[in-house]
Formats: sequence, structure tokens, C-alpha cells
Amino acid sequence: MSGLLAWVLVGLGVPVLVVRRPSIAVGLVTAQALVLAGYALHEATAGKDALAAVALGARALGLGALFLVVAARTREPRPVRPGMPPLVRAGAAVAFALVLTWLVPTIGLSSRNAERAVLALVAFGIAAAATSRATLFQVIGIVLIENGIAIAALTLPGASSLIEIGIALDLTLIVFVAAFFHERIFAEFGAGDTAALRSLRD
Amino acid sequence: MTREVLAIAVIAFPAAASVLLALLPPAVVTRVALAWALPSGGLALALAARALTDPSHPFTSKWIAVDAAGGLVVGVTGLVGLTSVLFSPAYLATVRHEHRERHYFSVLYAFWSVVLAVPLVGNLGGAWLLIEATTAASALLVGFSGRPRALEAGWKYLILTSVGLGVALLGIVLLAAGIPGGGLGALTWHALGTYGSGRQTAIVAYLLLLAGLAAKIGWAPVHNWLPDAHSEAPAPVSALLSAALLPAVLLVAWRCEHSLAPVVGIHTAQGVLIAFGLASLAVAVPFLWRPLAWKRLLAYSSLEHMGVIAIGIGFGTPLALAGVAVHVIGHAIAKALGFYAATPLLRHEPRAAGHAVTGISHTRPELGATLGISLGFLAGLPPSPLFLSELLIVAGGFQSGRPWAAGASTLLLALGFLGLMHALLETTVGKARRRDGGPVPGLRSLSALTAGSTVLLLVLTGIGIWLPGSDLVKALVTGIV
Repeated sequence: MSGLLAWVLVGLGVPVLVVRRPSIAVGLVTAQALVLAGYALHEATAGKDALAAVALGARALGLGALFLVVAARTREPRPVRPGMPPLVRAGAAVAFALVLTWLVPTIGLSSRNAERAVLALVAFGIAAAATSRATLFQVIGIVLIENGIAIAALTLPGASSLIEIGIALDLTLIVFVAAFFHERIFAEFGAGDTAALRSLRD
Repeated sequence: MTREVLAIAVIAFPAAASVLLALLPPAVVTRVALAWALPSGGLALALAARALTDPSHPFTSKWIAVDAAGGLVVGVTGLVGLTSVLFSPAYLATVRHEHRERHYFSVLYAFWSVVLAVPLVGNLGGAWLLIEATTAASALLVGFSGRPRALEAGWKYLILTSVGLGVALLGIVLLAAGIPGGGLGALTWHALGTYGSGRQTAIVAYLLLLAGLAAKIGWAPVHNWLPDAHSEAPAPVSALLSAALLPAVLLVAWRCEHSLAPVVGIHTAQGVLIAFGLASLAVAVPFLWRPLAWKRLLAYSSLEHMGVIAIGIGFGTPLALAGVAVHVIGHAIAKALGFYAATPLLRHEPRAAGHAVTGISHTRPELGATLGISLGFLAGLPPSPLFLSELLIVAGGFQSGRPWAAGASTLLLALGFLGLMHALLETTVGKARRRDGGPVPGLRSLSALTAGSTVLLLVLTGIGIWLPGSDLVKALVTGIV
């Protein structure tokens, strides 16, 4: 994987931590997954590799469409405020990514750029899920993590298309269930805001 | 029937039921679900019996593995799944929404099928896929009632475990990069030991993997979802979550520890498990001393028991692993009984949903007896098999040359025991409130289950005494590789 491509993928991840409209964040993670699918298709040397690339692309488009439908059905009167200011979140996420890159030794992927991109996107995803109050943004954080891991899976020697397709299906299933919960939470509390989910404490 | 075919049937039977129940007319769903439970549970118990009676010859392939440890977990999953289905109508009678039986049983069978598959999968990549699938199915069940608290619990469970499993997947990818043949599909349990990209990277991968799985097992400090999900899920689902899902995922962690020990070093591999175990015990014990709602108390007890099992696996000696085997089965039976008692308890005392209840034996002696028996066995009150298993695990700790960890475990277990005994006395013979003396549906079947569970648990204590030195324990020590 070239340095430019790795930077493009990471560059599409950073704004997810800053934007407040779910539709923009959905567009960013979908574009990221489609870039990955294009890369996978370009690198495919056998039919099963192409199949895995198509599965990744289909997952990206399917999830993007699902997110947009859910966001339209549960339109918030105004965007849910994140737990901390956007620039602070982005700064914390970048710092987390740098720490992770420093802590994790060489992974053994085909390029060091790919390794850094994987760790950065996993860090951004965890930061998005942990610091967002909006339920949709928490799920987008999980998709961001999986996009990062997809980079690693694609740059592994001898990847198994069956497992990669399975991962794409599993993620789709999780997002479907999350979308169901988001709609129920929205109907119950009037907003997809986790600040309302604070009754269970000991 | 070969073990491979039997293993496929064990997974396929409840999976087929899930599809069938989603298509059937609502009027027949409950009857079909109840009828299907017997062969589904029976197949799982048959496979467990095959694996446990011939533990020296495990079956392994790229996708399926049937060994002694897997047999243990498949057995308890089959048994608890069967009883959970049979006790579901009592729960469903308390729920009011359209097509509730169809939705509930279809998802419950899907969940049961996937949990049964986790201990039988022969590949780490496949295990991850199945564990992720259990999250999707069980989150729907946790939020099934649709109450705000259930939605909150389901959401927390879904997000925390999905993030955790994302971290575990990163660990898996790191491992895949260093294994000859490459790719996630090449990660059979045997192949993990051939990792060749250096010990430092292997340790990082192992830590990521276990930290991610810990979020699903409910080990401290990533256990936050566990008390919420277990307390808000339908009672039969709570039983499956605690008695079957947690040990199934824990088995995956055990297989990883066993397979990667030659690469990361046995001391490191076992030390991580002991650390998670001690942390879980230390976090659980203070909560066992607090007056908690019944199901939340059971949830914190699950945190404690998953910690005990982790410590036993970490010690890794024959004595400790004999203790682990007894603990997995004993915990499953006693914990499931406690959760099944929650449905009649809530009928009798609706405050039990959010508050500690006291003096149940004064107003409903048979219900009080069930609660007392469940808590007594879970606390490790002799002749509970959990008393024996904890004794074996602690002795195994001293045998393994880890006196500090064994000593700390003993202290924490003693404190946990006192906390649960206090809860037992308060719940059963404490000061009683005025309660409605009306009939409580389901008490007769609960009493029958209590009697059966008590007999099974006492038999388990007897077997546990004989277990150290058996072929089963030798097979657990050898592992699947």
C-alpha cells in the first residue's frame, strides 16, 4: 500500500471525529470503505480476492444506505452535542493513534504505511465510540475500527476470502441491530442521545 | 455418527429451528419451540458425552474441533439452552407485544445455535465471527422487553462488546500476519503455535486478543455491560448469557492461551489470565456485599465466577484444571436456576426488579428455598461443587508455584463467600414485607427443577472428588494441540 493511499484513508477518518451531522460522517466512512474496496479489486490476483473486494464494496454501500435511511427516519431537531469539543476529540484521537503506533511493534503487513493506517483508524474508531453521545456516531466509530482492520486483512499475505466476507456480513448484522436499537431509543427518549441512558448504575 | 457429523447436527438443529419458527403461524410457535428443544439439547448432550468419555482422542479439522474442554461447554450450553426454552413461556406470559413468541423463540434459537458453535469451531477467525454473531442475537434478546432500561442495557452491551471484539480482531490480524500460510482462515488452534514474527509482536497480539475477548467475557475492568445486560434480559436469556455464553467465549481465550503459550512464553500467557481473574474477583466482591436486586446480584456473581475460572486456567495444573471443569458445570446449573427463579420472584414481589428483596421464605417458602439453594451453591457452601472446585483451583495455584496469586484468590473468595451468605440470609429469612398472597404461576415447575438441579450438583461434587488424575483432566492439560 502506498503512502498516499494510507494518508487518504486516514484523512477520511479524522473528520468523522469533528463533524456533527451524521450524514457527513456516513459519507466519510462509506467513501473510505469504497476506496479500500477499489484497492482490493486492483490488487486481486484470483477470483476469491475479487469476491472479497466486491463483498467489501457491497458492505460499504449497504451500510451507507442503511445509515442514511436511519438518519432520515430519526431526524434530530438539532445535532446531539458530543461529550467534548470536536477539536479536543480529534486531538485526543490523534494522540491515541500516535501512542498506539509507538506501542505496537512491526506487525508484519506488506508495508509500514498500511500498519500505521490500521492503528490510526482503530484509534479513531475507539475514540469516536467512546467520546460520542450520539448513538449513530458510536456505531460509526465501530465501522471506522472495522475499516482499519479491513486494511490489515487486505494487506495480509494469503488472505481467506471466506473469513473476510464473514467479517463484512457480521459487521452488517451488528449495524442492523444497532440501527434497530437506535430507532427504539429515539422513539423512547426523543433523541439518539446516550446521555438519556444513565438509569442503570450501582 | 462421527463426531464431526454430530457437531454439525448440534449447530444445525437449533439454527433450522430459528428459521422455521420465524415462518410458522404464531398459534403453533410455542409448541414447536418447546418440542424442538428436546432433540436440540439432546444432541448437544450426546456430543458432550462422546467428547468427555473419550477425552484422549480429540477431533480437529480446519473448521471443527471436538475435544474435552469443548465437550464441557457444549454440554452445559445444551442443558441450559434446553431449560431456558422450557422456562420461556413463563417469562413470555409477562410480556405484552404482538408476535412476541415468534420473535423471541426465533432469535433465542439463533442465539443458542451460535453459542453451541463457538466451542466447536476449529479456527480462531471462525471463532471471532461466531462470537460477533452472538452479540447481534443476544443484544436483541436483552432489549426484548422494550423497556427503557432494557434498551439502555442492550445498547451498552452492543457497543462495548463490538468495540472489544474490534480490538480482538486486530490481535487476530497481527497473528495471521506471522503464521505460515497466512490469512485469517489459516488460524487453526494448532497453527497458532507456529507464529513466527517474533515474541514481542506475539505478546502484543495476545494482549489485544485477550483484552478484546475480556470485554465479551465480562472480565474486569471491561465488564460494565455485564450487570446491566444480565439484569435487564429476559430471565431465560440471562441464564444462557451467564451459564453458556461467557464460558464459551472464555474457552476461546483458553484455547488462545494454550496455543500461544510456546510463542509468548507460558508464564506470560498464564499471567495475563490470572491478572484478569484477580481483577474480576476484586471488582465483584464489594458488590456481593451490597443489597442488590436479585438479577444484578447474580450478574456480579457471574463476574466473580468468570474470574475464578480464569485464575484456574491461568494456574494450569491438573488440580486447577479439574477445578475449572467442575466450576464451569456447577456454576452453569446453579446460576441458571437462580435466573429461572427471577420470573416467579418478580410476579411475587415486583420491587425485586430494582431492589434487594428480603424474607421471601416467610411469604413463599418454595420460592425462598430455590433462591437459597441457588445462592448457597453459588457461594460455595459445602457440599457445593463450587466449594470443591475453588479448593482445587487454590491448591492448583500453590502447586503451580504462584503462592501470592493463590493466597489473594483465597482471600477474595472468602470475602465473596461471606457477601453471598449475607445475601442468602437476607433474601430468604430476612425481615419480610407485606406481599400479595395470590398464586404465582410457574412455581411447581421451578420446584421440580430445583430438586433436579440439587441432585445434579451433589452428584457433581462426588464426581469432582474423583476427577483429579482422570483422563479428562489429562486431556484438559494437553489441550487441543
